Amino acid sequence: MTLNRKPPPPAAGRILDAQLHLMDRQVLDVDAVPVTTVDDLELTDVDPNAEIPPGSPAPVIISLLTGPALGTRIFGGRPPSRRLVRIPWTDVSDVSVVIRLGVSGEHLDAGWVQRWVRDKIIARIPGGDHDPG
Amino acid sequence: MKRLLGVALGILTAIGGFVDIGDLVTNAVVGSRFGLSLAWVVGVGVVGICLFANMSGRVAAVSGRATFEVIRERLGPRAGLANLSASFFINLMTVTAEIGGVALALQLASSVHYLLWIPVAAAAVWLVIWRVKFKIMENVTGLLGLTLIVFAVALFLLKPDWMVLAGQAFSPSVPGEETVSAYWYYAIALFGAAMTPYEVFFFSSGAVEEGWSIKDLVQSRINVLVGFPLGGFLSIAIAACAAVVLLPAGIEVTSLSQVVLPVAEGAGKVGLAFVLVGLVAATFGAALETTLSSGYTLAQFFGWSWGKFRRPAQAARFHLAMIICLLVGIAVLATGVDPILVTEYSVVFSAIALPLTYLPILIVANDPQYMHEHVNGRVVNALAMVYLVIILCASLAAIPLMILTGAGS
Repeated sequence: MTLNRKPPPPAAGRILDAQLHLMDRQVLDVDAVPVTTVDDLELTDVDPNAEIPPGSPAPVIISLLTGPALGTRIFGGRPPSRRLVRIPWTDVSDVSVVIRLGVSGEHLDAGWVQRWVRDKIIARIPGGDHDPG
Repeated sequence: MKRLLGVALGILTAIGGFVDIGDLVTNAVVGSRFGLSLAWVVGVGVVGICLFANMSGRVAAVSGRATFEVIRERLGPRAGLANLSASFFINLMTVTAEIGGVALALQLASSVHYLLWIPVAAAAVWLVIWRVKFKIMENVTGLLGLTLIVFAVALFLLKPDWMVLAGQAFSPSVPGEETVSAYWYYAIALFGAAMTPYEVFFFSSGAVEEGWSIKDLVQSRINVLVGFPLGGFLSIAIAACAAVVLLPAGIEVTSLSQVVLPVAEGAGKVGLAFVLVGLVAATFGAALETTLSSGYTLAQFFGWSWGKFRRPAQAARFHLAMIICLLVGIAVLATGVDPILVTEYSVVFSAIALPLTYLPILIVANDPQYMHEHVNGRVVNALAMVYLVIILCASLAAIPLMILTGAGS
């Protein structure tokens, strides 16, 4: 029996393994400040029950996920879509041992906990806003 | 001179790992019960930690990634979280013990009860973490901790029978009145104390704090090869002092004052002054190391911004996490729990959790995407595999031996 399978379509650019090269990697913003770790990925919808017709476009990464996505990846389940904290894939500028963003982390949704802890607690302690030493 | 001062990170890491409060006491207990018959374990531990820290330092210098980022990346969130829970719990136990240790050392120097020193010690640790530059922190605590060399000086001044000591060290046997399981329990405790994961978290994160790159690989190796053997040397000197003075007198070590007894006998008041400075500096250094390690592990697992090179406001969650750790440490100590007991358990738990930290580093140190041409050589890999087996054995044997011996009593 011969498998009549077409070779995979030629890929433009670099081939990345989502599990190996994206998941759980550190995300740095444009100033190399850590933003988060990639807790999960959001892809364009693929119905897992329906058969995929040949020639249909491959799913595409929409965004990197963080926040509640980590909990559900560890313990199972799926958070409602509105509770996902997203970093749009269009903000990503480079993928290597870290994932670099082309934007500042200051205005990303993913940075709200950091901003809250900074503004409500750490910046209020004397010396919190000074360079060390 | 720059190269010489450049080993401060290795020295502080090793002092925090080898002569922190738990080790000070464990070494003296071992010396007073088993003589130098367990000195070989320190040797095995020193080679192991050199290997382990060298790999993690190299990963940090080449890829800029600290150890726990690598662990999360390789183990994934589930096993990573299990590792984080274990490592963080051990860290927190050690932070607690070290603050207690600083307080006990200050009690020894001042005769003021240690419970009164605890808030002072914790506040001082926090202030250093909050405000002092990493470089100054490691230079000062590293240099002051070196005064513990007085243990080696005291050993010379005690004029022991070197042949007897060498005999104990090089043809080890279980002393008549001790059981074989107690001997092996302490062997694992000493091994765990030498190869604590927090040393590696601190060393690799410190390399990132200092901004090491590929051209600092030599620096990394010198740090490892100077710091850890020195730490091992100090811990054997402490055990030897105890073996010479306390073992013949039948004194069982239960407190810090008994640890320094041989120094007072051998080197007199001056020696005592040195050893007190050394004790405070070493426990304080260990408290800094473990508190920072707690912050590093959490921040690196979750991808928070971290580091003492940033303003606290720019690494807000990292600093908040460490403040909470210190407060928990104070709360635990306020219950009156014996800090020395806490570390004695924490070193054994370190041995149990070690494989989870060691394996990901070994894998990444061989990954060309991270390391380019600086992957492990064949000799390092062969040694690393031997240690993987040793570490697994120690990890598996720790709990049965702990139960069998009633934690070494």
